[in-house]
Amino acid sequence: MVKKKAPVFDSDNAALEEGNHMPENTEDNKDERRPVFRNATFQHSTTAGKKKTWRSLKQILAHEKSLPWPKDTPLYSNITAPPSFKPPKKYSDISGLEAKYTDPQTKLFYSNTDEFATVRTLPSDIIAGYLTLRGANNPIG
Amino acid sequence: MDYLEFKDHKVSPDQFFSYLDSIKNSNTPIVIENGSYNCRVGWATVEKPLMVFKNCLAKPRKERGKKDGEMQVGNDIVNIEAVRFQLKTQFDRNIVTHCEIQEHIFNYMFSHLGINTETVNHPIIITEAFMNPNYSRSCMSELLFECYGVPSICYAVDSVLSYRNESKNGNTGLIISCGYYSTHVIPIIDGAIDAKHSRRLDIGGYHITSYLHRLLQLKYPVHFAAITLSRTEELLHEHCHVAVDYLEELRKWSDGDYYDQNIKCFQLPYTSQSSLTPEQQKERRRELARRLIEINARKREEKLAEDEEQLNQLLAIQDLQDEGEETEFQKAVSDFGLNSCEDLPKMIGQIQARIEKTRQKIVAANTSEDPITEEPKQKIMKFQTPKGEEDFKSWVEGVRRKREEILEKRAIRRQRRSDMAKRKTAASFERMRLISQLARNEKRDDDFGLRDEDWDVYKAINKEGGDTDSEGETEKLLELEQVLKAHDPSFWSEGIEAPGETHRLHVGVERFRAPELLFQPSMFGCHQAGLAEVIEYVLNGYDEDMANKLSKEVFITGGLANLSGLKDRIIAELTQIRPFRSKIAVQVANSPSLSAWYKARDMARNLSWLKSSSITKEDFLEKGYEYLKEHCVSNPYTSSPAPITQIEGAVHNAPSIVSEEIEIDVI
Repeated sequence: MVKKKAPVFDSDNAALEEGNHMPENTEDNKDERRPVFRNATFQHSTTAGKKKTWRSLKQILAHEKSLPWPKDTPLYSNITAPPSFKPPKKYSDISGLEAKYTDPQTKLFYSNTDEFATVRTLPSDIIAGYLTLRGANNPIG
Repeated sequence: MDYLEFKDHKVSPDQFFSYLDSIKNSNTPIVIENGSYNCRVGWATVEKPLMVFKNCLAKPRKERGKKDGEMQVGNDIVNIEAVRFQLKTQFDRNIVTHCEIQEHIFNYMFSHLGINTETVNHPIIITEAFMNPNYSRSCMSELLFECYGVPSICYAVDSVLSYRNESKNGNTGLIISCGYYSTHVIPIIDGAIDAKHSRRLDIGGYHITSYLHRLLQLKYPVHFAAITLSRTEELLHEHCHVAVDYLEELRKWSDGDYYDQNIKCFQLPYTSQSSLTPEQQKERRRELARRLIEINARKREEKLAEDEEQLNQLLAIQDLQDEGEETEFQKAVSDFGLNSCEDLPKMIGQIQARIEKTRQKIVAANTSEDPITEEPKQKIMKFQTPKGEEDFKSWVEGVRRKREEILEKRAIRRQRRSDMAKRKTAASFERMRLISQLARNEKRDDDFGLRDEDWDVYKAINKEGGDTDSEGETEKLLELEQVLKAHDPSFWSEGIEAPGETHRLHVGVERFRAPELLFQPSMFGCHQAGLAEVIEYVLNGYDEDMANKLSKEVFITGGLANLSGLKDRIIAELTQIRPFRSKIAVQVANSPSLSAWYKARDMARNLSWLKSSSITKEDFLEKGYEYLKEHCVSNPYTSSPAPITQIEGAVHNAPSIVSEEIEIDVI
């Protein structure tokens, strides 16, 4: 096996990484049956240190964006769909039908009087649930 | 009406395949479609993937003092609902970020393939997300090369593979790929991906399922737990469709008759509680009581035996004393835990009394007859049912009226409360008038409170109207209803319910409301443009000629392409977008979920192509971890430029980025 030395770390770091990993490695071997095809000494280079940390997609993208890419390079972050230019349509929260009205008290959309009666009898957690589902539950305003 | 039932499909664990010598010695490539929903794995020589499993694992939570449970991967998870909150996936949206989980998944794949050599000595062809960030690829390459020692890796994009597999001419076209976390619109121009004009919409099957799940839970809060994500998924896969004209479809559904004809009714599993006859219930209760008596008797017997044993020991000690063996006696006394010799007779007396008591109890229990013959009296017995026919009728009528009175009172109270809540009603005007009158401070003789009636004014200005739905009233109401249920057959027929009626889910508009998210992300608060708008945006990036070419060859793939109506909807949307009488043709992949794997397998069978399109370990070490060899089904590759503020030795792990610990849970 080629001794793994990521270009990422300078020698100090690499040594540190090695040191940190020794106890963890043995522990891993103890409590998990390692398949035979797996390299027993392998450690993810990105998880140096005691805590295994993984970058979230957000962090990866933030990092990717910070690099000086040549102009017009397609990247994960710049092929995101554009925002909608059409005004969003209103649909009744409880029935899904097209809604003309908004209940000023609960802020729910409704399409006819029957639905209004139902809306008024809904408990507050259900109302909050519908609003959250629509992304309209703003606890401040 | 038919009642549908949830099938609750169970998965069966994947079998372990044997590692045949023919495969072992010929370097057969392994084809992996690493999708964010399902993962499909197989040798390049087989007809269809050997394993298809959910790309996730369940890791039991660590608890102190308890042994860790086994980690379950993919199809090992027989009941996914039981471990829903412990599910972990390597994906963050459609990108692999958590390589440790990916490692477990690879372990699962390779061990099921039967590999038993030191390294995985097979070329790998694996799919990655469209425009996968270089960082993510570097992690994946590192894992495969360093951990498993694979000879080479070929990365491909699933949607492009699927397009190549099924598209008719396959040179210029527009791919619409509906995945689990995202939907891509990718133009292919003269055989090459035009990544610059591609767009990704962050809505996929996952969002549609969660939306539907939540909708149903809010509609039926009682069945919160019974409406599971797996059932919702089943509902989506088997009963949902995309509306061709959403508003038109909604209008149809707002008609009562249409609703009744097209509603689908799902019966949730339930256990009927009233299936036992009173006789059976009584029997059961008696049985329970008998068992309890038996247990008590046994306990008494045990206690008796124990006490007798102790008594015998003590008597033996006393015998020692009588025989004059002083030293042994002392030792035995202290062994027994007694303080002094004087305690011995006292102790013997105590135990003898206890034994006597227990014996008496046993005798008493045996002689007394069945003690639970008396049934708890029903409340109904309080009401004397009149004997005569006429009397009975009027009595029932009276009970009925009483019940209605209570209900009416309640309704009035409720009305009053809601009137009071608003400011512009007559009731609240009246209230304010009274309050201001009371508050008016008149110097002259203030005799308020001299008469008792004066205080009634406070009842009038109370928001509740002076009294509330009291507990006593509710009890009375229940009692009356019980009486009516018992004696008035017509009362029953009013509110009679078929068994299980309360456990039925009526699913109507929801069936096309959830998939509509793809076209109207605003429905769940997402600000991105809908799929139709994104297609329009992409097409607008080209000149008229090219846009025409693209709309003549639209190809839909990905799991959601299985939804019926999607094709017609896309055609309808394109007709709106494109100029009048433009030629539009839309094709849906024959097997949207598997065609990418098939194409990858076919390409892997061409060993010389695979060799020229793969990254070897040398490439990996020389050209950087993130290196990707471009080919006809791969992502475009641009090597990451060095960061602007270059730090000694840092190439792609800039220390300026603070890494946080992340745990991804699939909900």
